[in-house]
Amino acid sequence: MHAEHPRLLSVDGLSVRFRHHPANIVDDVSFTIGAGETLCIVGESGCGKSLTALALMGLLPKPAAQVAAGRAVFEGEDLVALDESRMSDIRGNRMAMIFQEPMTSLNPAFTVGDQIAEAVRRHRGVDRAAARGRAREMLEQARIPAAEKRLDEYPHQLSGGMRQRAMIAMALANDPALLIADEPTTALDVTIQAQVLRLIRQLQAERGTGLLMITHDLGVVAETADRVAVMYAGRIVEEGPVAAIFDDPQHPYTIGLMGSVPSLGRRSGRLETIPGLVPTPEAMPRGCRFSTRCPFAAAVCAETPALTEIAPGHRVACARAPIELRVAEDAA
Amino acid sequence: MLGFIGRRLIIAIPTIVLISIFVFALQKLLPGDPVLAMAGEERDPEVLEFLREKYRLNDPIPQQYLHWMGGVMQGDLGVSLRTRQPVLELIAEKLPVTIQLAVMAMTIALMIGIPAGILSAVHKGGWIDWLANLFALSGLSVPNFWLGIMLILLVSVKLGWLPASGYQPLATDPLRSIQTMLMPAFVLGTGLAATLMRHTRSAMLGVLRADFIRTARAKGLRERTVILKHALRNALVPIVTISALLFGELLAGAVLTEQIFTIPGFGKMIVDAVFNRDYAVVQGVVLCTAVAFIAMNLAADAAYRWLNPRMREQG
Repeated sequence: MHAEHPRLLSVDGLSVRFRHHPANIVDDVSFTIGAGETLCIVGESGCGKSLTALALMGLLPKPAAQVAAGRAVFEGEDLVALDESRMSDIRGNRMAMIFQEPMTSLNPAFTVGDQIAEAVRRHRGVDRAAARGRAREMLEQARIPAAEKRLDEYPHQLSGGMRQRAMIAMALANDPALLIADEPTTALDVTIQAQVLRLIRQLQAERGTGLLMITHDLGVVAETADRVAVMYAGRIVEEGPVAAIFDDPQHPYTIGLMGSVPSLGRRSGRLETIPGLVPTPEAMPRGCRFSTRCPFAAAVCAETPALTEIAPGHRVACARAPIELRVAEDAA
Repeated sequence: MLGFIGRRLIIAIPTIVLISIFVFALQKLLPGDPVLAMAGEERDPEVLEFLREKYRLNDPIPQQYLHWMGGVMQGDLGVSLRTRQPVLELIAEKLPVTIQLAVMAMTIALMIGIPAGILSAVHKGGWIDWLANLFALSGLSVPNFWLGIMLILLVSVKLGWLPASGYQPLATDPLRSIQTMLMPAFVLGTGLAATLMRHTRSAMLGVLRADFIRTARAKGLRERTVILKHALRNALVPIVTISALLFGELLAGAVLTEQIFTIPGFGKMIVDAVFNRDYAVVQGVVLCTAVAFIAMNLAADAAYRWLNPRMREQG
């Protein structure tokens, strides 16, 4: 499918279920990430994108949530089937994650250096001095000035941007093959956002790390993605190369999402919004989950549409795609 | 750190002065007359008057207070109105007993309460949690005197493992001393363990939800490290607070438990002193307890600064 990237992670039919909830919160999600490739999962809050990431890391809030079905093969091992001990050997080592909230994601009681060195010692079995050396090196690579001094500082002594850089340093300390970044810039000031994104991009390119970027921000998508998966109500509704998603969106939800982005230049009319709300798990419609808000919905939408390839590498889960054609047919 | 402790000690002085005034005043409001207790059956008015003069009970109350306080400044807590022993000597006699009981009880409380609290938070809703809560509920609701008597009945009378009562100073026979103190310390300790367990549990439950716990897990750390290093370190602040208060209470003496196991500690001394209107002893003991409480709080404050780096920058 993508010859330039040997396959790193391939997720197949992943579903996550919450206890006492009738519908899967993540439902039958499939995607792949190649080595060094960036896949952005984009969608609004509550669409299941963060839960997908936590499921891959084995960090779902147990026992409330659990993987109900599917496989996630990472470097030859199915993450879903692994026991906790093997999973913890992979976490923070071959596969690492950074989170949305740099202010609360670091432990306030330990120094930054301690927290990075801890990850190195856990997976590399090196002594304290070597781990500290690696921590300093990582802070330098994360472009944190006066790295030596920062090692002995506590998280509260660092700004939000610096903390996120420290989180990145921590996540990449063991040279993971895959980095999962869950809204890494959402909590930061706009000027800092661009710097942190650039840093992630640079470090990723230097190391050939695969990146799963989770975001609701289409600006971040445009900045980072090779490919994009659009999630709506727990399902991937469209997936393809970044250019195809921006220039030729096919799913009505993706089209709506693109229409709701402000752009520079003269604005014609009001910013588009998608009418209605994301359905709650209790009120999840049968078939296509977007059908209750879709302007193009028809009888056929009562059946779950499969992700179908409509152009090379561009897949969409809509019975009515390609839309232009169908709408023209309807009119005729 | 030294500057911080110095500042806190200076703040402690007015607190101690206020407590001493309060205790002094409150005692004078109590009905009853120590001189009547001292003079015995005959109550010769001349003897009464002589005693009142001798112990300055005829002076205005503020003057009595200043006289007493002047003595305290020079390390003289006065003389027991009943036994005519110096109060300082009485306290020095009882203090090691009370401290030993308090330390042993606190050790037992910490050894049971904190692990039980951690386990029940980690296994919230499971059978371990249920068992720990059952223990806490019984610990809080079973009265100490009942548990003490039952223990004596079982361990001393039936099984003959430990002496039922009596006190042996630690210095003369350490093993025997610890044996005699074990049951009373256990009775006091399990009660406190219940309180500690509840506080540990709720502090741990709060911390376990924190984002940095997820980060620790994302690093691949073993669950044991996540719980005992990352979570416990942050949960310790409330645990230290409550432990310091509980230890302060132990230092004030445990009246009923001391009575049951016939341990000559603070608890019995202060009750006797109140009944006999032995003003000097009551004042001395309360002052001593107040100082112990303030010292415990100071220790807790110092511990916070170690536990929580954010507090180190504040004065």
